[in-house]
Amino acid sequence: MEKFKNNVFVKKVGFNRVVLAGVLILMYVIFCVAIKGFAGSAHLMGTLNYVYFLGFLSLAVTFVIATGGIDFSIGPVMFCCALIAGYCFGTYKVPMAVALIICILVGLLFGMFNGYLVAYWSVPPFIVSMASMNIAKGVASLFTKTQSVSWPRVEEAGGWFRNLATANGFPVGLIIFLAVAVICAMLLNNTKVGRYILCLGSNREAVRLSGVNTKKWEMLAYVICGILVGIAAIFFVATYTTVQPNYGDQYNNEAIAGCVMGGTSMAGGLASISGTVIGVIIISLLQEGILATGMTKDIQLIITGVIVIVAVYADVVARRRKN
Amino acid sequence: MGEEILRMEEIDKSFPGVHALDHVHFNLNRGEVHALMGENGAGKSTLMKVLTGIYKKDSGKIIYEGKEVEFHTTREAQDAGIVIVHQELNMVGDLTVAQNIFIGREFTNGIKIDDKKMIDESKKLFDRLHIEINPTEKMSSLTVGKQQMCEIAKAISHNCKVIIFDEPSAALTEKEIQDLFTIIRDLRAQNLGIIYISHRMDEIKVITDRVTVMRDGTYVGTLITKDSTKDDIVKMMVGRVIYEPPKEKSMVAPGAPVVLKVEHLNAGKMVKNVSFELHKGEILGFSGLMGAGRTETARAIFGADPKQSGDIYINGKKADIKTPEDAVRHGIGYLSEDRKRYGIVVQKSITENSTMACLEEYMNGIFINKGKEKKAAEKYIEELATKTPSADQLVVNLSGGNQQKVVIAKWLVKNCDILIFDEPTRGIDVGAKNEIYKLMNQLASQGKSIIMISSEMQEILRMSDRIVIMCEGQKTGEVKIEEATQELIMDKATRNIN
Repeated sequence: MEKFKNNVFVKKVGFNRVVLAGVLILMYVIFCVAIKGFAGSAHLMGTLNYVYFLGFLSLAVTFVIATGGIDFSIGPVMFCCALIAGYCFGTYKVPMAVALIICILVGLLFGMFNGYLVAYWSVPPFIVSMASMNIAKGVASLFTKTQSVSWPRVEEAGGWFRNLATANGFPVGLIIFLAVAVICAMLLNNTKVGRYILCLGSNREAVRLSGVNTKKWEMLAYVICGILVGIAAIFFVATYTTVQPNYGDQYNNEAIAGCVMGGTSMAGGLASISGTVIGVIIISLLQEGILATGMTKDIQLIITGVIVIVAVYADVVARRRKN
Repeated sequence: MGEEILRMEEIDKSFPGVHALDHVHFNLNRGEVHALMGENGAGKSTLMKVLTGIYKKDSGKIIYEGKEVEFHTTREAQDAGIVIVHQELNMVGDLTVAQNIFIGREFTNGIKIDDKKMIDESKKLFDRLHIEINPTEKMSSLTVGKQQMCEIAKAISHNCKVIIFDEPSAALTEKEIQDLFTIIRDLRAQNLGIIYISHRMDEIKVITDRVTVMRDGTYVGTLITKDSTKDDIVKMMVGRVIYEPPKEKSMVAPGAPVVLKVEHLNAGKMVKNVSFELHKGEILGFSGLMGAGRTETARAIFGADPKQSGDIYINGKKADIKTPEDAVRHGIGYLSEDRKRYGIVVQKSITENSTMACLEEYMNGIFINKGKEKKAAEKYIEELATKTPSADQLVVNLSGGNQQKVVIAKWLVKNCDILIFDEPTRGIDVGAKNEIYKLMNQLASQGKSIIMISSEMQEILRMSDRIVIMCEGQKTGEVKIEEATQELIMDKATRNIN
């Protein structure tokens, strides 16, 4: 075990992530053996379709959790983005490109709103995000007059955007997701924003007393989160057609589970983008597996809930041992 | 002096990077006041934390009332009769005295808390201690001295047999110290074992029966107080370390320009109308009791806390400092008394901490130039002789002294001209302490100006070119090092209190 831990490759990638990747592969093998017909491209594509939007949500919340905060509004905000932009496309006939930009703008606005309240008014992130979850739902319903919104199919006018997720059976979405993940990793590890986000998540006062404008950087974490939520919305509608108002809460937990499972600490200061990526694929695979067995969505909710608790508890134990 | 109640044998404890306790001995008798002495970082507090179950020892034995024991929490130690009166008081300001004393074990009447009984019991405790405090008063309205009496009352209410006083006199006036001694003598007469941790040599002579001295985490020896002189104890405490020679006169060039001028500064309750000047190349000592408002003054100057009024001039120009960001821009660096909370990000590397205050100088476009950054960190690791395997080491794995050097490195990387050192040697070992002294002298001779806040009289007298003394938020005196004596400073430091 020690030898494995000290292996150059393992050290470089990180022990936790190697284990996590192992878990992922093992899970896939088990599903293929245990569930008849799971092997093959259909379920793989199903998993990937889930990875796309959930992946962006998870990347989004990783930035916020790295500051020591939390965001429970990501799921409903994603729906809010999709509803407002879809309504603009359907009712106001804006071009599809503009609709996609609206998606990101709505996410950005919510990110700025959350970030400003948390950073400048010192309202606890828990409260802010709970409140903006309700606001997102309310705004979306109001805007669409409580109607569900349908995005065009690929053969309809404006349906080209679906190629962002899958083009002629090719998983374009996966490439975009991984590219954005790489950008996120660079942002987090090689730029000022990332450095300050991680440091202030670890010890805000020490960073502030080093002459750093912590409020600005903390708010920026929420802004980055908001933009990524907007992107998540695009991939959600590129996969699924109809978006209903008053929905989206369940994706909060799944996104947070993916992020925390990947080794991002709920206490802030430690975050791993590669961990988040693997974590999110595990969650997506799990949900696809559960659907394939014919079990209901409820089981999946329970399992995701348990995963969040186990992952956070593991983090708590690890930190206690370190001290 | 009665029979032995407590014996600690071969106690060993290591933290990452520090051997905090190296096979330490200690024993205590009933009806004895036993001083535990040593410089900061000698391991006194660690030893007491091992005893009361806050830390787990690596090896060694604790024998209490004839039986080997090991406490896992302070609660277990309390139940067994060992309690500690901390330097920092653990009181809930908004509760009454009685509620504080019985916190966590309130008397109840069915499901209702029986306040009356708690008040009666508190009165009995105060009677036993011969002190007068109204149990229904709010804790926050008492003076620090009175609050400490409450801590003691709380301690004896546990029906304890051993009381540990951790630097009880640091925040007290002369009169309050006398009251404290009366209580300690009383407790001794009641056959309790008392461990008394202090730096103050005079108190040790007055109140204790025996002295155990520790140095660098090791046991040095035990003396009978009345048979030994101050010099004996000091020699044991200091040992091989040769300190920087004390300053006999100011090293500041005559006519050195004023780099920082503070005028009529008011901030919160703890800073009232403070004015002073700091010259180029000067070490300006800030002396006073705990809670005199020195840290608050520093934080207000640095923009860490808001100020109500007052002007700050840097190099003769008025500076508008509202946030630490402004202060750093004006070339001020602040080294906090509470390193772990305010100084460093312990879960990050030395490099990341070193460039925290001036990351913008290590950027390549939008990317951090990690190579350049690491070089800067390594330069100061070498210059300050920071003991670490590499610049990538997480700060949490360093010893206190080396962590302090990382904080200093942060301000040197930023090239600050005005440095505020708030208790720069608190909680670091003796060797590192002297290195910090040397470094401060070196910085001053390079033309940096330093404000040094210190509660250690010896440190103030050893390092300062000039000394500002504060008491209860006001500046009560300013003396040149040539005229400074311990008595003069103490007198000014307690001027407003009676």
